[in-house]
Amino acid sequence: MFTWQKLGRVFSPQQVTDRPWLKEFAQAPATLLLDDVVRVYFSCRPPADAGGQYVSRSAFVDLDRRDLLKVRAVSDQPILGLGGLGEFDEFGTYPVSVIPANGRLRAYYAGWTRCESVPFNTAIGCAVSDDGGITFHKLGRGPVLSYSPDEPFVLSGPKVRRFGDRYQLFYIAGRKWKLVDGRAEPVYKIRLATSVDGLHWEKIGRDLIESRVEADEAQASPDVFQCNGKYHMFYCYRYSSGFRSREFGYRIGYASSIDLLHWTRDDAKAGIDVSFEGWDSEMVSYPHVFEVDGSIYMAYLGNQVGRYGFGLARLNGTLE
Amino acid sequence: MKWEPLGKIFDPTEHALPHGCREFAQSPQVLVCDDRVRIYFSTRSVDAGGKFLSHVAYVDMQKDLCRILCVCDHTVIPLGALGCFDEHGIFPMNVLRVGDLVFGYTCGWNRRVSVSVDTAIGLAISRDGGATFQRIGDGPVLAASLHEPCLVGDGFVKLIGGMFHMWYIFGTGWKRYAADSPPDRTYKIGHAVSADGFAWTKEEARQIVADRLGPEESQALPTVVEIDGRHHMFFCYRQSFDFRSNAARGYRIGHAWSDDLRNWIRDDDNPRLETSPGQWDSDMQCYPHAFECDGQIYLLHNGNQFGRFGFGLSRLQM
Repeated sequence: MFTWQKLGRVFSPQQVTDRPWLKEFAQAPATLLLDDVVRVYFSCRPPADAGGQYVSRSAFVDLDRRDLLKVRAVSDQPILGLGGLGEFDEFGTYPVSVIPANGRLRAYYAGWTRCESVPFNTAIGCAVSDDGGITFHKLGRGPVLSYSPDEPFVLSGPKVRRFGDRYQLFYIAGRKWKLVDGRAEPVYKIRLATSVDGLHWEKIGRDLIESRVEADEAQASPDVFQCNGKYHMFYCYRYSSGFRSREFGYRIGYASSIDLLHWTRDDAKAGIDVSFEGWDSEMVSYPHVFEVDGSIYMAYLGNQVGRYGFGLARLNGTLE
Repeated sequence: MKWEPLGKIFDPTEHALPHGCREFAQSPQVLVCDDRVRIYFSTRSVDAGGKFLSHVAYVDMQKDLCRILCVCDHTVIPLGALGCFDEHGIFPMNVLRVGDLVFGYTCGWNRRVSVSVDTAIGLAISRDGGATFQRIGDGPVLAASLHEPCLVGDGFVKLIGGMFHMWYIFGTGWKRYAADSPPDRTYKIGHAVSADGFAWTKEEARQIVADRLGPEESQALPTVVEIDGRHHMFFCYRQSFDFRSNAARGYRIGHAWSDDLRNWIRDDDNPRLETSPGQWDSDMQCYPHAFECDGQIYLLHNGNQFGRFGFGLSRLQM
């Protein structure tokens, strides 16, 4: 089992009072290592509208590279605009994953639309930055990764990587909408697509991680880190119902692979769980593993899927 | 070339239809069989909230297309599951024989909140000669992409030289034209190819037929037929706003031809589909489907009110 030393919560959206679009939530942290800072992209929300509906925006916080608990800056504006009328990302851009590509920064993000019979649908879009990752403009008004026969809806949670000569996009795809106490809740699984140019993607077309706690287990935030000749994936999973509780809510799982295609799930090895009390006492979710100056860290969300921000843990030892 | 109108040949209100449907027989599309012509169409039921659901049904006709043999009374293909692209309707479905199978390319409809709908194209396969179809999956084979942001639909597929060709429409965007009217969409005709009919490569937002009415022309339901070695496409087109009850802005039949399947020359007047005042299709002509049967080229199309009261037939005179 890996040993993670929890460093506590490093960013809380409630601390920021002068950005109305950054009222609550700091979800799905994903980093970009810069000279002086670690830029952590995350997704946040303005207050809900009169109907109780949220729009998700994405932003970043810069952490001091020598002391990751120190916030150096928070983005002045959302990094991405919302889509136009009837477009796939009209009601949200969440989450975001950023990677350098062809001398520019490229962001992959899930765009949100609202549906009548189910609350939402998502597909994955792509945008580029010409100002070092402060703002991004979309490559098109539609998605780069959309629905297909065995991935009918809810394509989300993109994490883009480049191992070898191809790009890898780890993401989730909806399997079914399950009615739980009259409310439609999505069941989704971890998937993979690969690409030479990052624009034309070939889907692998199967679940990477077998379901463990139940057949309708929902899996999210597939975050892959290469270390010691292996690929290490941290992700989160939850039950299909009752998941807003401590008992059935998100936990962080782990799997490893030597070829990116075949994964061995071993959640007991993940080594990070809910705390006895405090900001992450009910759930831990949306892990992101990154390395800074010789240390390996995990950013993750606590209670209410990041409503009150994200925290960090540092690995003791190595991933193997 | 000239279309000889043969009049309306099917009225849905005169028949018992599955799913309690009473009106609409939209977008007729044929499967020519040895002993009959099966004409699929989309009809409509009304759900608990008073909104329409489009269902596929068919009528079998004698090969002279003069007499009805039977009207299907069963579910040809059920609607999609909760949250799927085809949950609220299939309209239209284009059918194609592939060996012993019949491929059905569906245009699936799902309702949205800020705009009325989105669509995508699915594939379902029949192993019983076209009586029933089973989806290859819950999701679509052709959907929105980087430069086709919405409303991918109306697929029409032909096998030409061992390659599957699909002509379809893609949305270029939604727009609210008046403060008191809901958003309206504009779409154009595009093209995709496939080696197997399952995995498609789009030309990605290349509008293949020129506009006649300008950028806000909406083009729908392409259908392609070969006449004397030349590919002829028929489709319908209209203004994007105020087209439902204003006949001057409503659907008319367009036409284009091509010798290389890449460059299409628009020529709505040859052949032109005529009508006269007071006819069943005098206010609107839409959803054309061209096909060959026993050496004749025919065109099915809908008339007034988007096919609420059925479809008619014309025969090509050379």
